[in-house]
This record gives sequence, C-alpha cells and structure tokens, in this order.
Amino acid sequence: MKAIFYKEWLKVRWYFILAIATSLGFSIFSILRINRVIELKGAGHIWEVMIQRDVIFIDLMQFVPIIMGICMAIVQFAPEMYHKSLKLTLHLPYSALKMTFVMLFSGFLLLLGTFFINMIVMNGYLSIVLAPELKWQILNTATVWYLAGIASYFLIAWIVFEPAWKRRLLNIGITLLLLKIFFMSDMPQAYNSFLPYLAIGSILIASLSWLSILRFKAGKQD
Amino acid sequence: MENIIECKNLTHYYGKRLIYEDINFTVPKGRILGLLGKNGTGKTTTINILSGYLKQHSGECRLFGQEIQRMDPSLRQKIGILIEGHVQYQFMNIQQIEKFYSAFYPKWKREAYYELMSKLKVAPKQMISRMSCGQRSQVALGLILAQNPELLILDDFSLGLDSGYRRLFVDYLRDYARSEGKTVFLTSHIIQDMEKLIDDCMIMDYGRILIQKPIKEILDTARKYTFNVPDGYEMKATEDFHYPLAIRGTLETLSFLNKESVEIKLKELGIPYSNLQCSRVDLEEAFIGLSGKY
Amino acid sequence: MTYFSKILLYLIIGFLAMWQLPWCYNFLAVEGSKSGFTLYSSILDDFVFIKHSDAGAVRKSLSGKEFTQNQFDSILPTFYLRQLVTDGRFPDTIKGIPVEPKMVQQENFNYRCVPSDINRPKIGLYSLLESMSKRVDLVMPDDVFRLTDSRIEFIDMKSNSINENKSQIFTAEMKKKGLVFPVKTLSGNPTTRKEYDEGYVMLDANNNVFHVKMTVGRPFVRSVKSPKDVTLKHLFITEFRNRKTLALITDTENKLYVLSPNYKITKVDIPSYDPKLNYITIMGNMFDWTIRITSKTEDNYYAIDNNTYQRIKEHKNKLSSNGIPTLSFTSSLDKFVKPRF
Repeated sequence: MKAIFYKEWLKVRWYFILAIATSLGFSIFSILRINRVIELKGAGHIWEVMIQRDVIFIDLMQFVPIIMGICMAIVQFAPEMYHKSLKLTLHLPYSALKMTFVMLFSGFLLLLGTFFINMIVMNGYLSIVLAPELKWQILNTATVWYLAGIASYFLIAWIVFEPAWKRRLLNIGITLLLLKIFFMSDMPQAYNSFLPYLAIGSILIASLSWLSILRFKAGKQD
Repeated sequence: MENIIECKNLTHYYGKRLIYEDINFTVPKGRILGLLGKNGTGKTTTINILSGYLKQHSGECRLFGQEIQRMDPSLRQKIGILIEGHVQYQFMNIQQIEKFYSAFYPKWKREAYYELMSKLKVAPKQMISRMSCGQRSQVALGLILAQNPELLILDDFSLGLDSGYRRLFVDYLRDYARSEGKTVFLTSHIIQDMEKLIDDCMIMDYGRILIQKPIKEILDTARKYTFNVPDGYEMKATEDFHYPLAIRGTLETLSFLNKESVEIKLKELGIPYSNLQCSRVDLEEAFIGLSGKY
Repeated sequence: MTYFSKILLYLIIGFLAMWQLPWCYNFLAVEGSKSGFTLYSSILDDFVFIKHSDAGAVRKSLSGKEFTQNQFDSILPTFYLRQLVTDGRFPDTIKGIPVEPKMVQQENFNYRCVPSDINRPKIGLYSLLESMSKRVDLVMPDDVFRLTDSRIEFIDMKSNSINENKSQIFTAEMKKKGLVFPVKTLSGNPTTRKEYDEGYVMLDANNNVFHVKMTVGRPFVRSVKSPKDVTLKHLFITEFRNRKTLALITDTENKLYVLSPNYKITKVDIPSYDPKLNYITIMGNMFDWTIRITSKTEDNYYAIDNNTYQRIKEHKNKLSSNGIPTLSFTSSLDKFVKPRF
C-alpha cells in the first residue's frame, strides 16, 4: 500500500504543490479583499453587507475546489491511461479492487489536505475580524464548494478510467448534472440541511470508478 | 507434462464481428510458444485475453489452472507481462520504478534488474518518458527478469526496436527462459526474431488455428514445391497443399509431405504438372505458405 | 462491491431522470396562469382589475363594468394619486371625506412577504438602531446583537468583541419586563431607509410578544398581552408611514392579527394566511386594505376595513397548473437547496 501511495505521489507531487499554492493564493486574495474593504469602509460595513445582503466575500473561490478536483483526477489518472499503463497497475499481484480504492484514496487525501489548509487559513483570519456566525456563514457556504471538489475528483476518475468513448460521454453527462447540484443557489448556507447527505453522496460516488475498472479489465471498446 | 496455459472452446466477438470460434490450445511448462498470424486474425485478442484485459465471449482460459478473469491476485506474481510498445510508467525513473515494483514481489531480484540497467546508457534519474523505445524495452525486460515469473506473456516485443535491441532482447529472453525452465507466450511481427527464440509455433488464420507444432518439426517437414502448369491453370488448395498460387505457368505451394508423396498426390488429383522442385523453407516462408500472401 | 457500484449508478441515473425529465416537460409544455392586477376600489365598493391580453389592457370591475384609463384612475384615487395630481384631477373629497394629496400619501403603504423571507438560512445577528436619534436620518449602529439561550449580546463590530455592559443592561431590562429567554423569533427592519424605527418585536419562550427598541441608548421594552387561547407564531414588523400598526402577527392556526402601537392585538377578518406557504401582498390606503394571499392553487383577495380590520369583500381566483410533479432541489417557497417533490 505504501508503494501505491508512492506511485500516486510521484504522479501528482508537482500538481499537489501547485494546487496548494493556487488555492492558498485564492484564499489569501479573498482575505486581502476583505481586509481592504475593512480598511476603506470599516469592519461594520462587512458585517452589515453580510447580514443584510447575503454577501460572503469569497465568491471568487466558488469554482476553485471543483477545478482542483478535476485537475487532480486528470493529473493522477491520465498517465495510467496513457498507452494503457493501467494494465501494468492492475497486473500487480494485488487485488484490483483494493488497488483502485487505494489510488482513489491517496488522491482524495491529498485533495482533502489542500482543502484543509485553505480552511485553516481562512478560519484563522475570519475568526479575528468576524463574529462566529459570520465566519460560519462563509465557511459553511465554502464547504459545499469543497464537497463539489471531492465529488468532481471521483467523477472525473470514473470518466478517465472508462475505456470506451460512448460510455465516457454518458459518464460526462451524468457528471455535469451531478455537479450542477452543488451550484443550485448563491444563498449562503442554503445547503445546510442537505449537506450531510451531499457529503455521503460525494464519498459514495468513489465506487463508480470500480465499474470503469471492471469494464477496462473486460476490454470493453466502442 | 503440466500445462501452464489451457484454453478451451475459446470464442470471441467484437460487437457482432466474430474473431474466432471454439479454438483450443495449451502451452506446456517450459515451452516458448510464438503466436503468428496475419493482421486481424486475433493475435492481440488472444494476448489480451491471456493477460486478463479482455473477457472472452465464451469458452474458458486458464493460467496455472485458474480462470484468468477470476484469478487469485497473488498468482499474478508468477506471470510477467509485456505490453505492446514496452510501455512502462512514464513518470518514473529507473530507480523509482524498481522501488515501486519491488514492493509487490517478495522474491524480487534487484540485481537482475540493475545488471541490465548498468549496460543501459541512461542517467539514473532520467524519466522513462524521455527514453528511446529500445532503452524502454530494456527497462521492461529488466523488471520482468527481476520479477522472475514462471510465465511470460509478451505482446509484440519487437515493435519499435532496432535490430541491436531486438537481438539483445531475444538473447536475454531465451537465456532466461531456457536456463530456468520458464514458459513464454509471445507474438512478434518479425518472424526471424521468433525463429531464434521459440520452441513451438502456433499460426492463426481468420477464425481458427492453422497449426500448432514445434518449430523444429515445421522446419524439418515443411517444403516449398514449385512446378510448371499450363497457362491459366489454377489448382485448388487441399489438406496437403497450402495456398497453391500459379503465376505465369509456375505454381508454388507449401506442403508437409515429402517429394515422393507429393508426386503421388499430384497424380491422384490429376494435376498436369512438370518439373517438380522441392526446397526447404525458413519460418517466414512457412508462415506465408501456410497463411497465404493475401 | 460490483453490485453496490451498479446499484448506485442506477440510483443516480434514476434520480437524475426524476429531476431532469419532468423539468424538461414542464419547461416545454406548461404555461402558468396569472391573475391580473387586482385592487379593491373604495369608491365602487368592488374589486377592479386590469387584464393584459394581445388586444391591450382591459380595465374592468368584478361586476363586469369596463373602464377607460382615466375612469380607472378616478375609481382608485389613492392608488393613482400622482397621476391625478399631475392631471389636476385629484378630488377634494373621497367618500365624503376631505382629502389632500399629502394625507393620502401618508396613509398609503405596500407590504409584501413571501415564504422564502421566512424559510431561509438565518445568520442570527441583528442591528438595533437608535430610534430616538438626534439626527434627522437614522444611522446604523456600530454593533450587532445575537440572542442566546439566556440573554441578548451586543457585539462591537470593529473590535469583534462583546459589549458586556450594554448586553447586561438590555438583558436585565428584558427580563424585568417578563421576557423569558430563549427568544423564539423576532422581526425588525434594520435599515436607515425608513422614516422611523421601532426596533424589534420578539416572541419569547412562553409565546409572549415583546417590543424591544433602543431609545437614547437605553433599552425600551414593552410586553404585549396576547389574545386568549391563541398561540402566536410569526411576527412581522411593519413601520408603515401612517404609524397605525406596529406589526403583523400570525398564530399557530394561521390567523392574521394586527399589533397596533398601543399594544393591542386585533384579529384581521380573513380565513387563513400561512406565512410559510402563502405569498401576501397588502395595499393599504386611508380607507381599506386589499390583501392578496396567494397559495399554489388560489389567489385570494380580501378588502379589509382600515380601522376595524373587518372584511368588506372578497374575491377568489383559481390558479390552474398542469405541471407534473418533479424532483427538484430549489423551491420558490424557500431559499434552501435540498431534494423534494
């Protein structure tokens, strides 16, 4: 299992560093933006706008996690599909099912790590300038976006592993619709009651990749 | 003798297109078997089924007695595969790839790999993606040697290799397989390479297996016969005469019969032949004679 | 695992189909029905409406009489006040009462509340304005308050810290007036774009209504006596220009009440209004209110007397909807995202 982590790490290490840098860049930029407003108009302005107009000031971040998830899946799994190197991976004397999930799990962990660092940075700053209610307003709303990042990672993995193009198109269609669910409302905290189910769903769709792997092993073609 | 590969009533279709139906073959332990066939006869299909990346339409295929699609993962320790084009993980260098693979094989022979790598003129940190196909083939071969599998399945090992690397590959492989009694199932589009390497030869035609024989037997018994026939005469192929082809009054055919028997047969068939000549063939000629030029 | 994955995939496909296919059908095939602009005319003692069609706007009363545009202005003098004034047609008296444009304007109000105003995520921080500001305009305060299980807490926005002193003074005053924490719901309109500030109306743990505002930095708390055998539920502060109402209130039976500035609660004579499901629009003038309550299937119009809140007239419009039920994530009734039919 260590060896699988090692291989996944070799594939994604540069991307991982880039992803951390980029997402941190976005978080820090959002923070600076809030800070600037505070300097110009005072903290009260931020509070009032947040309370009365449902503004959360980090809307810039909205699609960052989903793009990070998509890129992570592509960076991690496209090399496996290059000249079908996945055959090498699946030929190793290790259960194909475990292999699939250890690979997905390693990417998932790295993605989670990236998101976690983001959250810690934002949480740190926002705790200083905002009341907990407002901070949670921002972080709760962002959680949906981060979940979308996780879901997009698993869904793109499912698409990348799929051996046949026709089926791949179907997968892409399903993926687009599923990801749309994460972006149905601009209202902060609108997802609160749905969030736990969304989280469970996002994790469960990891299992779809197994179907693609089975089809790969069965040599399915267009 | 124990059969390492056993395929029974193997049938495969791509969509509705039949590739082959009910073919049977076995490969006994310690034999090097080369699969020959023209394009589209199902060589790659067979290799894919054997390496576990194609589920046959029907029939069964066993390696070491286990059904391939449901084989115990640990059994794959005993099977080495070479993917077409000597593909290996592009994103690793020769040290990383060794480190990665060694974790999966308890009996990993690190020295075997590095012995081969030492002869390769690549920097230890050079990515596989930046190696030539020949260098890559050595990496792939080195990994297989270190894995030390009982059975090797090689898909077109000569693809993309120049004659030097091809020779190197063949020599190493033969040496390895012979000295340790390994079983090998391989395809190649360059028949001369196979002639030096294989013990048995299996030739596929569209939808069926033409022959599976020791290569020695083929080379000893296959003969090319040429004789003159009247202009415009066309001879039909029979069980004994493969792909007779007449060009400007000279007819060529391949047969496993000796000259006396051929003369008797030709007379029986009432063929107006004259000037019957007989010559030995190499594997390539035998293959073409058996499977036809077209 | 294979079975699990397959079942999951089929569930997902089924789920998406339930969501997208009926949506497509409804999008292509369904036309919503609309009732036109409808208002009660004090002059005619009837509802009048404008219906827009391809032939142009038709102005009619419920009894079937048709009006020209000018006539229509005249039968709704409080509504078309500005038009009438501009044309020099504004009357001296309406219904025998001498009127001036300014007076009519003072009495007019529009109130609208949609279910998604209530069914929405709440932050739980509120601004309490100074209601006796020495300035002409209202100003936003430097702090916000939250209601905990046991007190009210004011948080200074600049330092992001609790103002203990102010919190204690307000908590003490509220408790003194009989308010029992935690507060269940409250309503206020913290904006400077209004003429006066009444602070908040709050419903305490015992379902009693309290009026809380800040005057000269000090808490002003009044308790309101609830009608007998009624459990109040939703509060809506009004702050209309005419200052004749303090808040609208509904109870658990979906009855509507008016809370007047003298802290009397009067029942409004309409059958039912559920703020969580119905849209309400009130167009008020110096004589009467036209209350429109819209549910999924009906548009109900009630003309209500301005003083007694008794019903003068009513009118019902059936709304047809031939859409098929569909799985959806959002709804016009709330601002949450969750799957529902």
